[in-house]
Amino acid sequence: MDLAEKLEILADSAKYDVACTSSGVDRAGRRGSLGSCSAAGICHAFTPDGRCVSLLKVLYSNACCYDCSYCVNRRSNEVRRATFTPRELAELTIGFYRRNYIEGLFLSSAVLGSPDNTTERMIEALRILRQEYRFNGYIHAKTIPGTDPRLVEQLGLLADRLSVNIELPSEASLQLLAPDKEKAAILRPMGQIAAQSAQSRRELSVYRHAPAFAPAGQSTQMIIGATPETDFHIMRLTEGLYQKYSLKRVFYSAYLPIVQDRRLPALTTRPPLLREHRLYQADWLLRFYHFSAGELLSEAEPNFDPYLDPKCSWALRNPAFFPVEVNTAPRVALLRVPGIGPKSAGRILSARRQQHLGMAELKRIGVVLKRAQYFITCNGAAPAHGTRREIAGALLDPKAFGVGVQQLSLDDFAAKPLPEAAPLVHELAGQGMEARQAAELVRQEALSCLTKQM
Amino acid sequence: MPYQADVTDLAYRYDGSFPGFLCCLFESFAARELPAAVLAPDQGQLSLFGSRNIPTDPAKAARVARGLERLGGTVQDRIATGFLSDDPDKDLILLRFARLCFERGPGAARMLGDPDVAAAFALARAVGNEAHLFIEFIRFEERDGMLGAVIHPKNRVLPLLVRHFCSRLPDESFLIFDATHGMALVRRPSGVAYLRMERYLPGTDEAEQDWQRLWKRFYDALTIQERRNPVCQRTHQPKRFWQDMCEMRPVPVPAEETPGKMGC
Ligand code: SF4
Repeated sequence: MDLAEKLEILADSAKYDVACTSSGVDRAGRRGSLGSCSAAGICHAFTPDGRCVSLLKVLYSNACCYDCSYCVNRRSNEVRRATFTPRELAELTIGFYRRNYIEGLFLSSAVLGSPDNTTERMIEALRILRQEYRFNGYIHAKTIPGTDPRLVEQLGLLADRLSVNIELPSEASLQLLAPDKEKAAILRPMGQIAAQSAQSRRELSVYRHAPAFAPAGQSTQMIIGATPETDFHIMRLTEGLYQKYSLKRVFYSAYLPIVQDRRLPALTTRPPLLREHRLYQADWLLRFYHFSAGELLSEAEPNFDPYLDPKCSWALRNPAFFPVEVNTAPRVALLRVPGIGPKSAGRILSARRQQHLGMAELKRIGVVLKRAQYFITCNGAAPAHGTRREIAGALLDPKAFGVGVQQLSLDDFAAKPLPEAAPLVHELAGQGMEARQAAELVRQEALSCLTKQM
Repeated sequence: MPYQADVTDLAYRYDGSFPGFLCCLFESFAARELPAAVLAPDQGQLSLFGSRNIPTDPAKAARVARGLERLGGTVQDRIATGFLSDDPDKDLILLRFARLCFERGPGAARMLGDPDVAAAFALARAVGNEAHLFIEFIRFEERDGMLGAVIHPKNRVLPLLVRHFCSRLPDESFLIFDATHGMALVRRPSGVAYLRMERYLPGTDEAEQDWQRLWKRFYDALTIQERRNPVCQRTHQPKRFWQDMCEMRPVPVPAEETPGKMGC
């Protein structure tokens, strides 16, 4: 099998992995080595599904000896199998990197024989990259549950970021769908990685040349929509992971049925992309907006509103918090205003030291006022008065009603609901209603419903 | 306008260079006036305004540059970056912004509620954003041991790419050809240079073509058909970048001489 075919197979099997960021570590280039890292992460291409390509994301091998039911690579599935050699993988990474195709390597693998055996080969590939090619770019390696802690340590000394996939949001689901994995085996390396990176950071502050252990920290991902957990359950789990294991990121991956199995949603199920989007929005609220899971959802209301972003939902439930005075409010209060994010809040804070802010100034600063205007005052005056219906209209998330020409084939010009449109829009369109009409109908419904609630 | 200056209906004409621009700034101070337009040579000879030629005087330029230095990094950066813009009004916007900063001190750069400050900020941000997109989307090809890339930027972004690529590829020689402005950034072991350049000949090396095919195959394998969302793709990666990205070409173009384009 030639290298191009291997690459195709092993990229194809890795593509459902969502984490593809190169962020978390800043490292300038050095003479005698190749590469640098930028903490914000850099994307190098966008695929037709709109996702960023930052890293050479491949599996080391897809010849798995486990049998997780939701996975294409499971032992009992019939697919083409391929395995890299450590050197092939290293050369591929360097060739792509020099041409500015990628920021580095994201290496994961199916279980090749045993977790230890697989990890040893991954380590060898990374060793060639770091030592022989003196590669100074980004490396993200995934640890395989059940790997010997000493091997995890070696991997961590070669990689910038490590991740352990939590796979499914609860132990019960794990038992049902991934019988070879257990929660403890997943959480153990997470604990080890958290402890060792903390130790390495302490050592680095004392000895500048101590080897860095996963300097960009660790991340995890879970599949949503394959099992019955609520958004509230998922957000609480996420919050716990951030706190307990100081994770840098939690990724969510909308379940895309690839196999027929009575334990799983039917093959015709649409991946819950809007739900995934809401989870990411809420995840940002936890990390950058000082929200907690308990503020966003509750046992009584355990799922996100498909038509509103989580911050708007919160604002509507907490009218007493508003209005927020832009000239005096602290940063955390500004961040709670729908439409104001960390960037706008920062600009407001720095501009208001120089001058009083009115509507005109806010516009020039670049604050998007469509939603914010109903929740703020400028020098005590409310910049806009809207009827309840107008306000509701401004708050609804247009994404939920997105319709467009997707052109899946050359002569396909009919409008269809966009992938992230609300399930109801898809459903109506699926029953034969014209897409724009379906979206409008659902929007009107959501609008009346929201207006009544306000 | 918080400071003393007459707004005139006069246009300044200058040679288009950065020192030339600094001399316009000098003139505006000396004459206590704000011009109605500041025009580089390639801009409309026909103007509604009367015009004055501002000669470039290195001594005056150096004085203004020292003044800007005292205003600190933010102000300097914004003017230097904004100056790379292709916006025909950039000179006037930056001149008004600089005058405000001299009057009010470095803090003026943060007065984003002020129209002149907001305009200069927007200018620099647009240039910076475009440069960042090229850091993402530039595709090098290897020929004769050197890396080469072609870009078609709106603004003169080359100076904003130097640091990133020199740091990232410390031991490589490379060339980035700005086909819009006919300029190339060349980095050799001896140092960095900007050259005028007409065209770039695409490489024909078979090994290089193999790398490009390999990359395209990887790129194609990544797409999840069920999640196709071309609208989203175009927002992140506007179509105007595609011509210079090898994976975006439907079929490999036969290597031939095309001005301002290359085989990658
Ligand atoms: S261990 Fe990983 S690769 Fe193997 S079947 Fe399970 S999820 Fe798939």
